[in-house]
Amino acid sequence: MNKMEYCNDIMVRLEELLFHELSGCAAWKIELVGIDFIQSKEIKGNTPDEVVRNCIQEIKAAGLVKEMTYSIGGRDIKLELTMKDCLHLPKEVKLKRNGVKPYVCPITNMILDQLIEKLNFETTYMADVNIDEKTGECKVRSAIYEDEDKIGLVCDWSEE
Amino acid sequence: MGDILDIIRSRKSIRRYKPDPVPDEMIDKILEAARWAPTGENYQPWRFIVIRDPETKNKIGRLAKLGSGSRMTAWYCLGEMQERFKKIKDPVKKAEVLRFMYSGEVSEFAKHAPLVIAVIGTLMEGSVDVPYDLSAAIENMLLEAHSLGLGACWVHGPVASTRDAKKFKEILKIPTGMGEYKVIAYVAIGWPTEERKHPRPKRPLEEMVYWEEFGRKGRPEYE
Repeated sequence: MNKMEYCNDIMVRLEELLFHELSGCAAWKIELVGIDFIQSKEIKGNTPDEVVRNCIQEIKAAGLVKEMTYSIGGRDIKLELTMKDCLHLPKEVKLKRNGVKPYVCPITNMILDQLIEKLNFETTYMADVNIDEKTGECKVRSAIYEDEDKIGLVCDWSEE
Repeated sequence: MGDILDIIRSRKSIRRYKPDPVPDEMIDKILEAARWAPTGENYQPWRFIVIRDPETKNKIGRLAKLGSGSRMTAWYCLGEMQERFKKIKDPVKKAEVLRFMYSGEVSEFAKHAPLVIAVIGTLMEGSVDVPYDLSAAIENMLLEAHSLGLGACWVHGPVASTRDAKKFKEILKIPTGMGEYKVIAYVAIGWPTEERKHPRPKRPLEEMVYWEEFGRKGRPEYE
């Protein structure tokens, strides 16, 4: 067992436990998991695109994720991240096999944190984590709210 | 002794209130009911913050609106809210209900409640049952408020996320350390403006009660 396997196994146990204690609400509690890494970097940017791009650059440089792309759409409140070969992928696979839908993405948390910290976004919400263990790819959709007026700007994300 | 089941069955979550204040003696009775809730090893970890200041209630109402709205907007965009409310057939009514939800207005009502009581628990005194003890206290508060003719609603949403819970603590000057106090919810209380005409249906007992072991339905003979 390498060190990453060891860490991921610990996270699986903790995430199972948290889900068991809190059910679906567990996903609302984990927004600070992972942010210490990105807060240790000097992320710069004046727009969401710049901040997200600079976060991705640091994440890839540290070897946390091999390939990573993003898009912002859905009336500017949808942030979609696609990641391939993330260090935490084995954690998500194991969790899913154990019957718990993955709900903690530390990488996404990093980016959402920097939108709040650097651009003063009102709030964010990680809405949907999907993994494909065959391709090694994760797709995470989040809502990002620059200000209060963005809340309630709905559209159909499946059409994008 | 009367049967408390009548009180339990007739209680509903009330979110619309008259502006009239809740008398002090009623506030005291609601808090007294909370104080007598069951608590593991009699630790009584609960603390209550009684809030009547309009500015503070406005801040809590806004936090609640943003919390619910941010989640429900995303759920709507994913199609989950439409699924949840598919039983509403009238499209106009459905659209209005959905807008009320994803705008966050559904959770804003603390602003208009004459009384808000924040329920928090100390994590520093060794209790091993804080969330459960606090939940029992809240239920006692709801039942006492209802028995007094008041309307009340248990609200968890604005403290559901870690960042929002911290903001909530800051509004009320509660220490924000993760090992100090847990904010579990607040209870909004006031004189109801109306009877809820459509109490939400409850599943029959047959659907949720098993006898002797999981999954075994139907009351067996027992001597």
